[in-house]
Amino acid sequence: MSLTEVSQTQQSRDLRLPFGLVLLALALCAPLLASTYVVHALIIALIFMLPAHGLNLLVGYTGLLSLAQAAFFGIGAYASGLLAVTYGTPFYINVIASGLVAGALALPLGIPALRLRSTSFVMCTLGFVIIGQAIAKNWISLTRGDMGLSGIPKPHFALGPLSFTVSGTMAFYYLALAIGILATLAVWMIVRSPAGRNMIAIRENETLAESVGIPTWRYKLIVFMLSAAFAGVGGSLYAHYLTVVSPLTFQMYYSTTMLIIVLGGGAGTISGVVFGSLLFVGLTEALRVTPELRMIAYGLCLLVLVFWFKQGFAPVINRLWNFIGGAK
Amino acid sequence: MFSTILEQIINGVVTGSVYAIVAVGMTMIFGVLRAINFAHGEYYMLGTFGSWFAIDYLGLSYEASIVVGVLSTIVVAYVVGRLVMQRMVGAPAESGVLATLGIALVLQNTVILVFGGGYKFFSGGYIEPVSILGFSLAQQRIIILIVCLLVFVGLELMVTYSRMGKSMRAVSQNVECCEVVGIDVPQVVLRTFILGAALAALSGVLTAPVNVSVYGGMGELITFKTLPIIIMGGLGNVRGTFFAAMILGIAESLVATYVGLQFRDTVGFATLILMLMWRPHGLFSTQARF
Repeated sequence: MSLTEVSQTQQSRDLRLPFGLVLLALALCAPLLASTYVVHALIIALIFMLPAHGLNLLVGYTGLLSLAQAAFFGIGAYASGLLAVTYGTPFYINVIASGLVAGALALPLGIPALRLRSTSFVMCTLGFVIIGQAIAKNWISLTRGDMGLSGIPKPHFALGPLSFTVSGTMAFYYLALAIGILATLAVWMIVRSPAGRNMIAIRENETLAESVGIPTWRYKLIVFMLSAAFAGVGGSLYAHYLTVVSPLTFQMYYSTTMLIIVLGGGAGTISGVVFGSLLFVGLTEALRVTPELRMIAYGLCLLVLVFWFKQGFAPVINRLWNFIGGAK
Repeated sequence: MFSTILEQIINGVVTGSVYAIVAVGMTMIFGVLRAINFAHGEYYMLGTFGSWFAIDYLGLSYEASIVVGVLSTIVVAYVVGRLVMQRMVGAPAESGVLATLGIALVLQNTVILVFGGGYKFFSGGYIEPVSILGFSLAQQRIIILIVCLLVFVGLELMVTYSRMGKSMRAVSQNVECCEVVGIDVPQVVLRTFILGAALAALSGVLTAPVNVSVYGGMGELITFKTLPIIIMGGLGNVRGTFFAAMILGIAESLVATYVGLQFRDTVGFATLILMLMWRPHGLFSTQARF
């Protein structure tokens, strides 16, 4: 859109900044406008947005289809739960530690997995989820098996004499929102950086990327670890929100949900992931759809996405954004 | 001590036979489509449910229920094949994974929605034990072993000599050339898919009397068991799949006895990941293809 065009037509003003501010204001006011249950749905959506952001880096930007996200989500949840229950560490340490633990564990898991080609890589990542669940179930001295960890404290912040416990749904919403915004900004910065462009180059043509001097192996490994770290932070939030962790945190269903968010929203776009988590997790949670119906809907969505809407909602969001931006 | 091990190995071979019948369909589908069928266990589940329905609601005998179970699965497989699998010809590997994951979700949860998520009791079958060479083995297990051998001999003959088997091999080698010489690729894909689904259903119906319980999530468990098998056997390799299934069955049975029952379901993926480190191309293939 050129400058002259703007001066020629009155209506085509760039409304992106005010629109963005309205969205932000809406996000901030949501707990005041919506019922507690809807706020709960929004919190779940925000929590699932984190692993989805990580998966988007992997699937959308680097072109690696992974099902391991639920494994790192579970690792994050357990790391957080164990730290809080055993050592009583505060929330902000748990969140960071969960991200680090998940990211660090992704290194030994990623080195063998990333050597594999497409199909075998998918299988291997699926194996991580299944083995993770078995470990959570059977390492009873650490994880208490099927009973899970309960009594994980709600996030508590203390600074000198000031202390604050995030106990209500509303307070937790703001915490999740803050972390969600930080994560989204982090992804945006990664994607905008030269590293992000290299990732896209690997997605488009790995051999060519390698030949122009991009260390593809190192990139894939680092992105795998980063995506795990995002999932770990998400798992930590989940643990502190529900205050219980069970082996069911390691579920194929979660990996599928995260895949739906990324592919449905539009792989390789940040707005798509935000939109996808609100639509596919937030909306279904808010409408109290039964798990079976929800999974049937997810299944149909996957089929539709694969065969007809390869880019998910990304083109729609783009067009809307351009329209708001004043383009005709 | 020795006889316990031998008994466990025999049990493992039976389990392996069940896996083998399911996995061989999956591996053949991979051969023609280059896509891993994540929904394959669901056809196993559908067959079992069809048979259970026939016995419990229609009052049929077990033999008749086998036919009902397999036929109803074939109908579902035909619909899925026409609507989804045929579209996957020439699609990238990722879309195959996602589409079949979608089918698995739809099939599994539709069954749960219709019949409820609880465990159901399967009452048919021949569960009387027979004593052979000092081991007692349920009749049903012997039937499974025999059917497995028959299936594999039959498949081997079909793949080698019949027109359909030859066209399947041709499609798995080069889709474009098949189109050039006039092989109807979507038709071959559909037939292979239906054959594979029917075999999975057959395996489900035959195993139901041994497992006794029937539930909606049982297909997923079988999918997770057979995925490692087909990769270990070398994707698309029928004979390799047979041996990989036997190895996994025996390993599971031994692990369940000597390590702990709770670790049984992880044996497959643990073995798979170890194998992928050591021989990324499968146990029986000479070079990596996929």
